[in-house]
Amino acid sequence: MTAPAIAQPAARRKEGFSAFEIFVFSLVVALLAIAIFGPLLAPDSIYSSDIANSLMPPSAANWFGTDDQGRDVFWRLIVGAQTTLLSAFLVVTLYSLIGVTLATVAAAGPRWLDEALMRVTDIGLALPGMIVALGFAAAMGASLRSAVIAMAITGWPITARMLRGIMRQTMEQPFVAGAQVLGVSKWRLMTKHVLPNSLDVLIVKWAGDIGTTVLVLASLSFIGVGAQPPSAEWGATIASARGYVSTAWWTVVAPGAAVAITSIAFGLLGDIIQVRRDPSLRGN
Amino acid sequence: MKTVHPLPDAASVVPVRQPLISVDKLTVDMPLGRSGSSVRIVDGVDFTIGVGERVALVGESGSGKSLTARALMRLDRLAKLSGRVDFDGTDLLKLSDRDMGKLRGSSIAMVFQDPMSFLDPLMTIGDQVAETLRIRGIGKAEARKRALAVLDELGVDRAAERLDAYPHEFSGGMRQRVVLAMALVGEPRLLIADEPTTALDVRVQDQVLDLLDDVSTRRGLAVLFITHDLGVVAGFAERVMVMYSGRIVEDGEVASVFAKPSHPYTQGLIKAVPRIDQDLNTLYAIPGAPPPPLARPSGCPFHPRCDQRFDRCGVDLPALQPVGMSRVACHLLDGKGA
Amino acid sequence: MLAFRAYSWFLSRRLGLALLTLWGLASLVFLMIKLMPGDEAQMAAGADASAAQIEAVRERLGLDAPVIMQYFSFLGRLLRGDLGTSIVTLQPVLADLEKVLPSTLELVFIAMLLNLAVAIPAGIVAAYRQGGVFDATSRITAVMLGGMPAFWLALVLQYVLGSVWRVVPISGQQSYGMASPIVTGAPTLDALMALNFGAFFDALHHIILPAAVLAALFATQIFRTLRASLLGVLRSDFIMAVRAKGATARHMLVRHALPNSLNPVLTLSGTQAGAMIGSAVLVETVFARQGIGAYMFNAVAQKDAFAVLGSVMFIGTVVCLVNLVVDILQLLVDPRIRAAQLGSQGQ
Repeated sequence: MTAPAIAQPAARRKEGFSAFEIFVFSLVVALLAIAIFGPLLAPDSIYSSDIANSLMPPSAANWFGTDDQGRDVFWRLIVGAQTTLLSAFLVVTLYSLIGVTLATVAAAGPRWLDEALMRVTDIGLALPGMIVALGFAAAMGASLRSAVIAMAITGWPITARMLRGIMRQTMEQPFVAGAQVLGVSKWRLMTKHVLPNSLDVLIVKWAGDIGTTVLVLASLSFIGVGAQPPSAEWGATIASARGYVSTAWWTVVAPGAAVAITSIAFGLLGDIIQVRRDPSLRGN
Repeated sequence: MKTVHPLPDAASVVPVRQPLISVDKLTVDMPLGRSGSSVRIVDGVDFTIGVGERVALVGESGSGKSLTARALMRLDRLAKLSGRVDFDGTDLLKLSDRDMGKLRGSSIAMVFQDPMSFLDPLMTIGDQVAETLRIRGIGKAEARKRALAVLDELGVDRAAERLDAYPHEFSGGMRQRVVLAMALVGEPRLLIADEPTTALDVRVQDQVLDLLDDVSTRRGLAVLFITHDLGVVAGFAERVMVMYSGRIVEDGEVASVFAKPSHPYTQGLIKAVPRIDQDLNTLYAIPGAPPPPLARPSGCPFHPRCDQRFDRCGVDLPALQPVGMSRVACHLLDGKGA
Repeated sequence: MLAFRAYSWFLSRRLGLALLTLWGLASLVFLMIKLMPGDEAQMAAGADASAAQIEAVRERLGLDAPVIMQYFSFLGRLLRGDLGTSIVTLQPVLADLEKVLPSTLELVFIAMLLNLAVAIPAGIVAAYRQGGVFDATSRITAVMLGGMPAFWLALVLQYVLGSVWRVVPISGQQSYGMASPIVTGAPTLDALMALNFGAFFDALHHIILPAAVLAALFATQIFRTLRASLLGVLRSDFIMAVRAKGATARHMLVRHALPNSLNPVLTLSGTQAGAMIGSAVLVETVFARQGIGAYMFNAVAQKDAFAVLGSVMFIGTVVCLVNLVVDILQLLVDPRIRAAQLGSQGQ
């Protein structure tokens, strides 16, 4: 139809960053900065309890109040940012590696291996990911390390499925067939041409994945199979503050808001990257 | 079937029709992405279609002919319209959405280019034809009966058995008959046909054209026939309007325009119509392409492609002015250097 | 005939995938058991078990046999419905879970209704008025809700709506003394069966907030999917043809645009039904409701390893079955598949 055809040139025009995009970028940068440098600035008092000052409401001294142990909620969030984001990065990196490896093997390997790996991926996609991760984490002994490993070994199916599709597509392109005729080895083809093409997709997916991983990680900690008290990880913080909602709402609201803001910021970053790569998605 | 107007004598055809729809300084602006700015696709179009008259609107793709047609029914939700469109004495551009909706399908109806994409794939053709009536509160049985009558009239094979079939079960030609039935079942007075034969193969094209000819004669239906193919126009329309870059550049009786086209663009289009006796190597095409609406040249928008241009053409926009029984927008009519 | 063959081909494929998935799940759970640190017989018998009791369990589970034999006997026990025994309730895990499953299904069912009832109209309006105020606010809301941890949303809303404003009960499934005789195990259904409408509305009053929290998580996905799908359909040619017939906006949206854009939404809501059962673990415990999620949560808290892993097996199985049922339902309600079937019959 005529309307979208006419709208095209505007969408394709080289644009600067919008105010909203700059806002999201700064938010992500700020979160990363907090995660990296925050713990260096934190006062030592947050690692010990001070019962006399417990459950104090927000004030000039304690911006977000204090928790049941009298620790400053704000500084615990800052320290927790490092734990939370580092864990999420680790999870996404690990399962991306598993996904890339499986996808490469499936795409380059013989037909039966591809078929078998894709059925395994189907099974992985059909199962409730969080519940299986919960099982693994509980079996290995509840800890942040267990939760990270459990999420890494359950998180790969979507990545594997997506990458394998893209790799197959790349391999059907004329230049790959041409190179094969010229005697370029399959391994060289995969590493030099097919893989780099797919990594691009992985990078786009990465930001959105961090957003969801932060959420699931916090959920596992809340259930009790992830980070354990006195860890400052945000999910564990909410879990231990749970009983104080009605007496000291700030102890629950603050860490939850931190999870929400981080998850939303990385999710939006993912959306922005995706739209910039493919402007036709704009407005959808 | 209801309002069968007697065909006027051939001699009296020309000027004495009662006007059915008059379009005055119609402009259509389409928004550009989300930037808030817009681009003018149709730039001040005037014409009148008489009761029962058959008019062809001809132009290359991008000339604005389809958007002009849609503007008459206010079908593009994004388009900003200005000017006047008088139908039976009311200005359609001033009607509320609700009142405009009442006119669509019952006073003005439309047939579209690709019959498959203009049919809802999930609804039976019987329901789709009857829908025009059902929307107006006509009972299910009655609407179905009338839908069947129109489908029969249009020569859809075994129409009674196939009312409950889905669009994908029909051939291209039959689908176009279904689309035509959808338009005619509301007994409109003006039918807008937007390239109704372009997506069909040649043999089916002729059938559909004959059918359209037949039905509009029988019903005394005015038709605005939109096409990029001048070859189709000659046998069907009484009058032809040629559109270029959002404006009408020539408007006249088919016979006289074909015999003696005044605008260089019309001349080019006529030269480009292939003839059976023609050597394939001598097929003519107007050099260049129409300008995009965002980059129209100054002066006459056709001048960069015109083989008869002179100084003034790049400076002044020629107005559409009467020339005998026709109207033409070209500086050549004023004489060079005038 | 053709239609029948198409149906049975579809069914056998889905059934095959479901069985394969269950086998995969069982293998994963076996792997989890083997990953547990410490003596398996000791874990299964409980911390207070005597040496003789532990040996009895070791004997019963065949833990002296090679791992591969253990795997097969594990699969055999699963087939007989043996998910292990809880060291807390001292009951078979399956028996414990069966008791609370209806309560979870009830929660998920109502959450799914809320989810669709909110997300579908919102998606329609947002797409029809693309770029308008409603579109903008609902998209922002969807992004915000999609990023919030469910259990946290539950805690905050429970505090605000339950404690501060007192518009809903803080927790539980029914008020004290309102319990109906247990027939199905789902409080609203049991109340209806006892024709006790007071108890029915009481149970509804208790379930509305937990269901709304669960629904909010999933409604954002349905909203986004429907909106995107509808935007595509609204741009298509036949919508213009419908408008040219004189249809009102409402008629065009409800009779033409919506049916044509519902396909991805149906597929998504199918996967969501399963995922919601998994997410119940985040909501049930906050509102002190019974259910398989709450059972698993408590098992984690009490380090009842076999109850946790039995729950994983059970929830995974329920999710697989729900997905299977939804797939079949979709075949029956999806007009596109039906239209294709009718098409092959008509010619």
